[in-house]
Amino acid sequence: MILHLRRESRMYATFGFVAICILVLPLIIDSIWVKVLTSAAIFTLAAYGVSLLYSHLGLVNLSQVALVGAGGWIMLRLNYAADFPFEVNLLISAVITAFIGMVLALPAIRMKGLYLALITLMIAGGFQIILSAIQFPNGGSGFFGVALQSPGEMRRPVIAESDTAYLRYSIVIVVFGIMLAAAHKFSRPGRAWAMIRKSEANAMAAGVNVTFYKLWCFTLSGFLAGTAGGLLAGALKILDAKSFPAGESILLFALAIVGGVGHWMGAVIAGFLYRVLPAIFNNIGIDADLSLVIFGAALLHAIMTAPNGIAGQISTLFQAWGRQNK
Amino acid sequence: MIKISDLTVHFGGVVALDNITVDIQDDIVGVIGPNGAGKTTLINVLSGFVLPDSGAIDVEGVDLLSLAPHRRARWGLARSFQKVQTADNLSVADNIWVSLDTSASIGMRKSAALNRVLEYVGLVDMANVPAAMLNPCQRRMTELARCLVASPRIVLLDEPGGGLSECEVDRLRYVIGNIKANFGAQVLLIDHDVELIRSVCSKTMVLDFGEIIAYGPTETVLQDENVKAAYLGTEIGT
Repeated sequence: MILHLRRESRMYATFGFVAICILVLPLIIDSIWVKVLTSAAIFTLAAYGVSLLYSHLGLVNLSQVALVGAGGWIMLRLNYAADFPFEVNLLISAVITAFIGMVLALPAIRMKGLYLALITLMIAGGFQIILSAIQFPNGGSGFFGVALQSPGEMRRPVIAESDTAYLRYSIVIVVFGIMLAAAHKFSRPGRAWAMIRKSEANAMAAGVNVTFYKLWCFTLSGFLAGTAGGLLAGALKILDAKSFPAGESILLFALAIVGGVGHWMGAVIAGFLYRVLPAIFNNIGIDADLSLVIFGAALLHAIMTAPNGIAGQISTLFQAWGRQNK
Repeated sequence: MIKISDLTVHFGGVVALDNITVDIQDDIVGVIGPNGAGKTTLINVLSGFVLPDSGAIDVEGVDLLSLAPHRRARWGLARSFQKVQTADNLSVADNIWVSLDTSASIGMRKSAALNRVLEYVGLVDMANVPAAMLNPCQRRMTELARCLVASPRIVLLDEPGGGLSECEVDRLRYVIGNIKANFGAQVLLIDHDVELIRSVCSKTMVLDFGEIIAYGPTETVLQDENVKAAYLGTEIGT
């Protein structure tokens, strides 16, 4: 009964948070912060993908931001090539990015720990080089579609043309993405992942196709990255190849750990730290690079004292508070 | 029925299994032997975690060596490990569901199978408890339930009695002893607890240095002079 109540109150808290983000937040912030928050929401989704791989399988993925870039490239390419609605383009971008994630995971999946992390980092480095060579499409001619001056425009969804509407739209998509991934936890893949994490041999002995379920997790993580990339393309309208260096993927992974893996709130915190904190520093006249120092300290703190990240600490706090008020 | 012919496994210079040929027909067969005799290697070869250098394994007409480990599991080969392997963040029921997920039967029958096996191992009340909260015996029972739930053909148990108290072993004795009657599977049981082997296994195989030094009715095998010598050693000069 207590467990049931706790689950119910947790659900209300989640709904409350999402409702505030969608309904209230866009009304009280000015246009600069709308853009920052849109970007934070989008990277929340990408961080959730990283966190998924790490929390369920203990796999380190250091190429997530590169995949966000891939998703963004596909989204822009589709935008200028075809007249499909925004949602269709977004879905296609997510699916193709998921497929790219799966193909990249295919050789990487035989590695574990540090070696896997290194391979994914090399992949991110490869994407960085490819993206700076081909640039993002901006409506030019040819397959790569790059022109010196953008002759076209990135379309937004019909229902979300303005920045504020697009923030709301992004949050809704992010919530759906997180729900899709979280649903896995309580079904067949979640069980298989838990068994694999405990012992691959035991999972095999239980009939679990270990390679398939590892690939599935990479694919799902790629799907979230692709969705995030598509949304980012819609938010910024023009993407810059310089925004997707390999180092950013390491940063996003570190922040996912700081926020707390395995919980949506951890990803929200990661997205917030990744995009909002530097903007706050900029706003009050401090060098935004100072946030990197804070991220480093936060990572040390997470590794040494808070294995479940800030999200874990918050939920422990609420539990203690709930006990006191009983 | 398990038909093993000329099975040999090397680990570098060590011969873990040396040209083993045996037909296993009884419902519950014990495998005993000193440490390093090759018992676990035999189970690892059967379940696919070790590839033999030569030999063949035929189980009910199926060439087992041609299947990948997870395919053997789906075909109906279940095993437990020396160290209990329950996923701590899953509930007891979800740990068992992992096996049901990979079996072909339909949803309705799956939940019936789950309830049946929970009752069989005595964990009905614990179904929704996370495995992290279980004691070692309950973990072992969860693992056995996972092995049994999908109606396997062969069950390989690697020292299930390790670390259990006397009273828990009684429970284990009941659970292992009635597998054939309740689930129809043939059981291969490795254990150091000779009393457990004596009470549930109709036949027993003794391994020493990768060879079968005795195979026959359990009582006869346990009285065998060679077996006693392998366990206790022999005096020099005799």
